[in-house]
Amino acid sequence: MRDLHRGSRPDCATPGFRSVRPEARRVPPPVGTLGSRRGGDWLLGTSGSTMSVPDYMQCAEDHQTLLVVVQPVGIVSEENFFRIYKRISSVSQINVRDSQRVLYIRYRHHYPPENNEWGDFQTHRKVVGLITVTDCFSAKDWPQTFEKFHVQKEIYGSTLYDSRLFVFGLQGEIAEQPRTDVAFYPNYDECESVEKRIEDFIESLFIVLESKRLDRATDKSGDKIPLLCVPFEKKDFVGLDTDSRHYKKRCQGRMRKHVGDLCLQAGMLQDSLVHYHMSVELLRSVNDFLWLGAALEGLCSASVIYHYPGGTGGKAGARRPQGSSLPADTGNRHRPGALTTNGINADTSTEIGRAKNCLSPEDIIDKYKEAISYYSKYKNAGVIELEACVKAVRVLAIQKRSMEASEFLQNAVYINLRQLSEEEKIQRYSILSELYELIGFHRKSAFFKRVAAMQCVAPSIAEPGWRACYKLLLETLPGYSLSLDPKDFNKGTHRGWAAVQMRLLHELVYASRRMGNPALSVRHLSFLLQTMLDFLSDQEKKDVTQSLESYTSKCPGTMELLSLPDGLNLPPVPFTKLPIVRRVKLLNLPASLRPQKMKSLLGQNMSAKSPFIYSPIIAHNRGEERSKKIDFQWVQGDVCEVQLMVYNPMPFELRVENMGLLTSGVEFESLPAALSLPAESGLYPVTLVGVPRSTGQISINGYHTTVFGVFSDCLLDSLPGIKTNGSTVEVIPALPRLQISTSLPRSARTLQPSSGDEISTNVSVQLYNGETQQLDIKLENIGTEPLEKLEVTSKILTTKEKLYGDFLSWKLEETLAQFPLQPGKTATFTVNIKVKLDFSCQENLLQDFNDDGISVSGLPLSSPFRQVVKPRVDSKPVNPSESSKAGDFSHVKTLEAILNFKYSGGPGHIDGYYRNLSLGIHVEAEPSVFFTRVSTLPATSTRQCHLLLDVFNSTEHELTISAKNNEELILHAGECQRMAIQVDKFNFESFPESPAERTQFTNPKQLEEERQEARGLEINSKLDIHWNIPSLKRHGEASVEGILNQLVLEHLQLAPLQWDVLVDGQLCDCDVVADCRVGDPIPLEVRLTNWSKRNVGPFALTVIPYQDYQNGVHNYELQDAITFVGSNTFYIDSVRPTENSVCLGALLFLYTGDFYLNIKFHEDTTSKELPLSWFCLPSVHIRAQGPDLQA
Amino acid sequence: MAVCIAVIAKENYPLYIRSIPAEQELKFHYTVHTSLDVVDEKVSAMGKALVDQRELYLGLLYPTEDYKVSLLSRLGIPCVKSMFPNQLHRYGYVTNSKVKFVMVVDSSNTALRDNEIRSMFRKLHNSYTDVMCNPFYNPGDRIHSRAFDNMVTSMMVQVC
Repeated sequence: MRDLHRGSRPDCATPGFRSVRPEARRVPPPVGTLGSRRGGDWLLGTSGSTMSVPDYMQCAEDHQTLLVVVQPVGIVSEENFFRIYKRISSVSQINVRDSQRVLYIRYRHHYPPENNEWGDFQTHRKVVGLITVTDCFSAKDWPQTFEKFHVQKEIYGSTLYDSRLFVFGLQGEIAEQPRTDVAFYPNYDECESVEKRIEDFIESLFIVLESKRLDRATDKSGDKIPLLCVPFEKKDFVGLDTDSRHYKKRCQGRMRKHVGDLCLQAGMLQDSLVHYHMSVELLRSVNDFLWLGAALEGLCSASVIYHYPGGTGGKAGARRPQGSSLPADTGNRHRPGALTTNGINADTSTEIGRAKNCLSPEDIIDKYKEAISYYSKYKNAGVIELEACVKAVRVLAIQKRSMEASEFLQNAVYINLRQLSEEEKIQRYSILSELYELIGFHRKSAFFKRVAAMQCVAPSIAEPGWRACYKLLLETLPGYSLSLDPKDFNKGTHRGWAAVQMRLLHELVYASRRMGNPALSVRHLSFLLQTMLDFLSDQEKKDVTQSLESYTSKCPGTMELLSLPDGLNLPPVPFTKLPIVRRVKLLNLPASLRPQKMKSLLGQNMSAKSPFIYSPIIAHNRGEERSKKIDFQWVQGDVCEVQLMVYNPMPFELRVENMGLLTSGVEFESLPAALSLPAESGLYPVTLVGVPRSTGQISINGYHTTVFGVFSDCLLDSLPGIKTNGSTVEVIPALPRLQISTSLPRSARTLQPSSGDEISTNVSVQLYNGETQQLDIKLENIGTEPLEKLEVTSKILTTKEKLYGDFLSWKLEETLAQFPLQPGKTATFTVNIKVKLDFSCQENLLQDFNDDGISVSGLPLSSPFRQVVKPRVDSKPVNPSESSKAGDFSHVKTLEAILNFKYSGGPGHIDGYYRNLSLGIHVEAEPSVFFTRVSTLPATSTRQCHLLLDVFNSTEHELTISAKNNEELILHAGECQRMAIQVDKFNFESFPESPAERTQFTNPKQLEEERQEARGLEINSKLDIHWNIPSLKRHGEASVEGILNQLVLEHLQLAPLQWDVLVDGQLCDCDVVADCRVGDPIPLEVRLTNWSKRNVGPFALTVIPYQDYQNGVHNYELQDAITFVGSNTFYIDSVRPTENSVCLGALLFLYTGDFYLNIKFHEDTTSKELPLSWFCLPSVHIRAQGPDLQA
Repeated sequence: MAVCIAVIAKENYPLYIRSIPAEQELKFHYTVHTSLDVVDEKVSAMGKALVDQRELYLGLLYPTEDYKVSLLSRLGIPCVKSMFPNQLHRYGYVTNSKVKFVMVVDSSNTALRDNEIRSMFRKLHNSYTDVMCNPFYNPGDRIHSRAFDNMVTSMMVQVC
């Protein structure tokens, strides 16, 4: 190609018409393409008539068609015209009578006459037939109409072979006339014969064509062959020597080429190939480049038609229904490569010629290249060149030689025709885009489509075609691998040409806005924001959101699918990134509202699916199940919550409105929330709430928001990287709601959450140790269901403190009498809080007091007055260490308990659910009194004893304390006093001990403790110690249970050996004075009853009388005053359990006076193993009186 | 003189793109994007044959047509301009892992010889290999590497 072009010089380039290009027609040569020839500045052509309207739809097989123009004349509605046009153009190929030749027709309803002038150059550009369609309703109009038809004929007159006029509406005389060139139809519906008419018309065209072909083909030897010219050449040949051989050859060559064209049109492919070959030879020799190009192109076209019977234009399939209407046609056609298999054709010469003349697919392209390079020498042949390029590209597309095709296209891009109108530019860019698409260059195609789109709205256009622009822009989307479905962007980070895609989206937004479709622009802008968020700069984010807000103020964004007229659907764009949701968590109801399943007798939590208690396989399945379903329930009618962790990726505050839940499965009333997230916030918890209105399984599918005026429904399934704890939860039937209010103030502090209990309300109270407080609880049913069942339990939180007595006590019956509690009704419930802690003081203190242990333990066989104790007590208050100890006394102890209200009612109760409401009770127990020390003193009676309690008032108030029936003892703040209470000794052994208890405490130590506790209780109830703080009007009890130790208990216990001393048959005890007469013997009886469980004895007792002078001196020298009748020593043999033994003696008083008898055990006889306290005999006081003088 | 250097991932999205008049970055995005058609075509044309000894250098992709298209100019007036102020040639190079390098070269003043282009690509490839060797680089992510940046910068100013 280059060779040819280098050495060649068109012979017509005489100085006269040779024009140097005033400016470069095209760009400097791009390397390595067809354009290499563009350096040449000897391009030919004058400003003569130029074909200026390229037909971008042309393809190679158009060369074999006959061009027929169908036009309306007069006033014909567009609809009617195109109805007829469609019917006419359906007759696009005709099998000519008696031959295998096929005639192809190309119909146009518009054809520029200047293109028609190139008809000699390429005959398929020649309008050979004219069909006019007209409306004519009266005979009066007929002549006028007919005149118009003639005028129309004039336009293409020079080239027309034949013409037809279709008249619609005219009836009557004129219509009756049989005319070949005019057809009359009553209306557009009744024109069945149109197709037939057209066929006839085409046949008449064929006759003319055939005659012309034969005429031209045969007069080869004719003397004068006319020179065929293209319009711009005409004046160049003026004055040329017509007799030169050169000129004759040129004429011959051009005529050959023309005949080739005619043969091709007449369906004689082989002949045309031969003619073209000859023409090429002739024209090459005379350097007639333009026509040489045309001849080469003709050769290419014929070869293409031969090789690719399917057509190259894409639409050809519809034009050429092979084998159906024209069975003969198929036999005549050959696929490339099927050349030799066809032996049917009788005419072998044509077969041989075919193989020789036809170009191979590779040659076709080479020849096209050559032809185009020749065309390019002529400025006026721009359209021809352009069309040739397009045709070549289509062929290459079929051959799948994209790279070469792109070179042709590249060349076509550079062909600058005259100043194109805007519309033509659009057409040009669109077709370029289409062709690039055809060869698989989608990006390039998109680029040109976009250029075309921009061209639609170029500022020079008076009425910018925004709609067309938008449509074209949409078509570019695949080229930029951009889909408008946000779902495609859910897979991780977006990877694509973000900058380019963003620009395109911006353009879509702009175009749709100018188009007057705000819904579209909102959708595109939302899409831009949602999908390109990562690529937008902060400023861009601001700009985009601002414009989005301004758009949505007029047209809010919806979640509906937007359908475009051309069938494209724009899926909704949910703003899943505004805000970004990282985690969705369904929240359980607050503890007080949480429904709990009543435990039925059948273990419901056991898996019914498997007979195995444990199997790893099942456990695995269960785990999966659990991951989807949540193990708590929501309650119908109660507000439930879902927590989202959200993140605002925007550099400014994000206002999210109308944020609510999307659910399914259960009727759900969502209560939307509005929130405002700070710029680039971290994870931010948002709680969405709603109320389930029916029961069943509810699934949280997603959430909806309104951001920047765009409604979004974001489904959790489509959110990437979201964490959730499951989204399905069961809604159980409604349950009542209980609200409690108490007479006590609420406590701010919460109890330590132990064992997972959550406490809804806390009350706190301050009590002195031993005080009792009544707590009134008002129960109100604030739900909508009646409250039918109520159970109250309490639980004392573990404390280190030992608690005596019932901390909380209540009577439920009165409250239950008011049930069922209807919604809105209240009931009351009373709980008594009793604080009874250890009244002993701290151990260290106790020890301090007790370091003279003897005072408690070392006991009192000797004297009731123990001098040692007194000074101790007196000295205590002055002891400097006392002040520091005071801190310990005022130590406040804390008691905590939980009162659980289990309640149920309504439909939820039927389903076996209840609710649990917990009331936390927090008691601060301040110490009231302490018993700092306890000891016993034997009373005068052996059956009684004195309990000595050192009572310390640790309050800051004056306090009185009283026991049983004793008088009150007043204690000032911080004072310690001793209090003596006379008590009867206890016979603990007689306490009933049920065998059950015994077995319960198998551990002897525990048993002992239990016993001691029981004893303490017994003692305490006997003592009944109360304290009272008059200034605060508070009172309470004090308990000694905690302070009684083993020793004290032993002293308080009746000895198992019961000694009774009877004087004169009268039982003597401490304060009883036995009277007797001097001189009379008095019987003395000592009786021992053994209540212990073993044998005791033997014992020896000696009775020693003495006189007490009340000054500390005892006189034992009384041998003269008292005489024993019998021995003064008694012996008691061993006594078995529960038996008794009696010793009898007698005394004789010789003088009057007060005497005492001291009964002593002989030391050696006292069993060492028995405790001393067992041998506690009452002292006997006898008053001996003189004989009654009066008697 | 390179005016734009781009690294394109196997899936045809940009890993790195840098152009010298920074204001015209978008234009180069378009330029490089459309060149991919040819790259694709050339790569597929090479086919499976000679995978090992394949020539990585693809040669000239396009002599560019320099279109300036913008809809959203300042005043909202769209404009389309077709201009040919300078010759921008695009060269391509594809690694064995189908990562493409595209270089847009301004050849209006100097005609670069093929060998020079080749050596530039080789340098680029080496530098890219270094980036890939970085254990902290995830293949498929955008390239943020100072060393790579510096190398690209040096290639852009090299011949100026």
